[in-house]
Amino acid sequence: MTIDVAHQGGAMPAPRLRRKPNVFQRIVRHWNDYTYIAPALLVMLLVIAFPIYYTIELSFFKTPANLSMDKKIFVGLDNYWAILTSRSFWDVTYNTLIWTVFSTFFAFVLGLGAALALNREFLGRGILRALLLIPYVISAVAASYVWKWLYHSDFGVIGALSVQFGFTDRPINFLDNIYTALPAIIVVNIWKEFSFAMIMLLAGLQTVPDQLLRAAQVDGANAWQRFWHITMPHLKGVSMVTILLLVVTNLNSFIIPWIMTGGGPAGATDIWITQIYQMAFGRIRFGMASAYSVILFIVMMLLGYFYVKALTRGDEAKVG
Amino acid sequence: MTSLLDRGGVGLRPHRRKFLNRSVAARTVAALLATTMITGSTASFAANVDLSKWSPEYIKSIAGTAEVDTAADCAKVVPRDYKGRLTYWWVGPTQAQPEIDHKMNAEFWAAWKEAYPNIETDAQNLDYNDMLNKVRTAALGNAAPMVAKFPILWGVEFAAKGQLQELKPEDVGYETSDFWPGAMKSVTYEGKTYGIPTNNETMAFIWNAKIFADAGLDPEKPPATWDDVVKYSKQIKDKLGVNGYGLVARQNAGNTPFRYMPQLWSYGGGVLDETSDTPAYKTVELNNAGSKAALQAAYDMYVRDKSVPASALTNTQNENQNPFIAGQLAMMIAHPAEYAKMVDLASKATGADKEKADAVVANMRYGLLPSGPARRAVVFGGSNVHIFAPELVDGGLDEKAAKAFVCFSTGPEWSTKLAWVGSNPGHLDGFTTKWMKERLDTIKFLDVTTSMLPSGIPFPVIPEQAELMNIIVPDMLQNALTGKMTVDQAADDAAKKVQDLLDGM
Repeated sequence: MTIDVAHQGGAMPAPRLRRKPNVFQRIVRHWNDYTYIAPALLVMLLVIAFPIYYTIELSFFKTPANLSMDKKIFVGLDNYWAILTSRSFWDVTYNTLIWTVFSTFFAFVLGLGAALALNREFLGRGILRALLLIPYVISAVAASYVWKWLYHSDFGVIGALSVQFGFTDRPINFLDNIYTALPAIIVVNIWKEFSFAMIMLLAGLQTVPDQLLRAAQVDGANAWQRFWHITMPHLKGVSMVTILLLVVTNLNSFIIPWIMTGGGPAGATDIWITQIYQMAFGRIRFGMASAYSVILFIVMMLLGYFYVKALTRGDEAKVG
Repeated sequence: MTSLLDRGGVGLRPHRRKFLNRSVAARTVAALLATTMITGSTASFAANVDLSKWSPEYIKSIAGTAEVDTAADCAKVVPRDYKGRLTYWWVGPTQAQPEIDHKMNAEFWAAWKEAYPNIETDAQNLDYNDMLNKVRTAALGNAAPMVAKFPILWGVEFAAKGQLQELKPEDVGYETSDFWPGAMKSVTYEGKTYGIPTNNETMAFIWNAKIFADAGLDPEKPPATWDDVVKYSKQIKDKLGVNGYGLVARQNAGNTPFRYMPQLWSYGGGVLDETSDTPAYKTVELNNAGSKAALQAAYDMYVRDKSVPASALTNTQNENQNPFIAGQLAMMIAHPAEYAKMVDLASKATGADKEKADAVVANMRYGLLPSGPARRAVVFGGSNVHIFAPELVDGGLDEKAAKAFVCFSTGPEWSTKLAWVGSNPGHLDGFTTKWMKERLDTIKFLDVTTSMLPSGIPFPVIPEQAELMNIIVPDMLQNALTGKMTVDQAADDAAKKVQDLLDGM
């Protein structure tokens, strides 16, 4: 047997490891590709990069309502300090976490259940799929108003039915109670979002190899075992992307809480985005609102990093 | 010189313009003779109007007693052959507004063109929700219009930032006393005047006479005091099961302070010292005894008696309209235009609902807002016209053209005609015109709602008023009504937030 010493790192000098080119080298190497996308990059710089830069800059300034913007006062990190040390920030953060975690979890679980159900062949599957998609295609503004009236504490259908069927003596006070308002709007959010999870997971279910499921069935695996050991591992990638997208969407939610409660009652449904909007356009404190936005931006960027990681995991494996 | 004996007369006579030649002696006599205004705050006269006599009957008696020649009056300020250029932004009539508003608007522009044919005019009718941010942006970019008409409290933000030119009634041939004292407060910032009122309105108290009768109350008499509102509301709820008073306490909603502040002021409270004749806006009154009494009254209705809609914390006035037309709400506070809205809702109802809605419209009554231990009060609303600082105006300011336009649009004639359905003339002499008489003859309850004007108090004229009124006051209400805080704690917490705001945080 002969041994190729050149490939054993023996007497022959080791070949230099090819270093990954940096960003600049890649741009030079692919300059004509970048020329094609230059106009789009320029537009993005104007409409995305500049506002981000300006928001970050503004976050270091105090902008009292009685001063024009060109007379704003530099305060360094004071806005960040004021936000992070205020009790309202932590109240709003708590609401935001509750809103995001519960909305995401239940939208995903319901979406998964609906996707599994629709993945089977049965009569009327197409109609059911169309019906379950309705919440996703309805305008969030219209849905918020409809739900607001369904929940209405005096004339809501839900309250009237609960009285009629003898569940309660008087209509349930959903949106005007500090303990029930947030759960009530989370339900609306779940209703609105679960269709999205359903579509994503339904697409993921198409990638589960049928022969594997049949082989497992032949080997005596029950329905739960087939789901847990075959279906779920194949849904792992799409689940991660779905959950990340739901988290990002929920952290950015504005329409449902704003229209249904305006952040009330007594701040019970105030979340980051409603707080930022109120601070900027209700209280005319653009500097403080910008600092708030930067904090949210950092959180979103971290989530975006994980999102991109999850999306490109397969590509990295191929390159490796 | 205007004789005091002429005031409030009923004979048709030429409208007297009070250019700057009125003697000091006459003013002194007028001030002495004038009894205290209904608010007890300021004695003030326009040439043909005596505010001390202000009542529905008085308003009717002076309407149609004076003649106006707007073009001739304004020619004394800027000659009619003046050649120039004008840019103007305002919230004009929309598709949702009645035809009469569009007709008056068209007539106004035709009359302006006829009066000043050589002033080239570029007028932009903007949406209410877009205008503020558009003007803010334009002012930052030196692209502001020469003249803009703003809702009553927008101007203070621009005045505070030095973006408006000083402008007082005397600059366009009128006198400060030609306008409501409350309206003049709204254009005054740090002692300087930055605009002229165009139109002013106040809300009124509305009730369903049939519900009152069914509950054993006098169907033709509204509650005289806010304590009565609490009592009536409970009586109606207990006897009939329908909600009494349409409390509005939504967070981040302008509807809330417009309905709650009259109650707060009536009990002797305030956010700052906005109820005084010469407010300095330096002292916080949100936790004084009057403010706490008003908050306690709201608490009693919502929590103790449960006599107001449970949905009050998420309601704006819009959410009161359907219950009212359905006969499920007895009392509310709203604009004069609410009657037209109810007629419209009734016209859209069908079957048994239609019968019920028509009955509600027939039983709809308007009255003065209740008074309290301190006063009768209502929020003073309306609009003002402003001239932007020359350096911010797109293409430069043509001051003469701007002043000619301000004179023309704020005089008795057009301040009346342009406010046809939803408001009232800012210029007090507008009440003496034939157009005011026509309005009184054709618009139901106008005399009642107009009677509230002397009780009008504007919100604090400081740049932070939006935060005070739309955020801190509703938050205070919600903290108390949800039980998150006691009444005392909610008032003290709100007062601290106001103090922090004044201190610059």
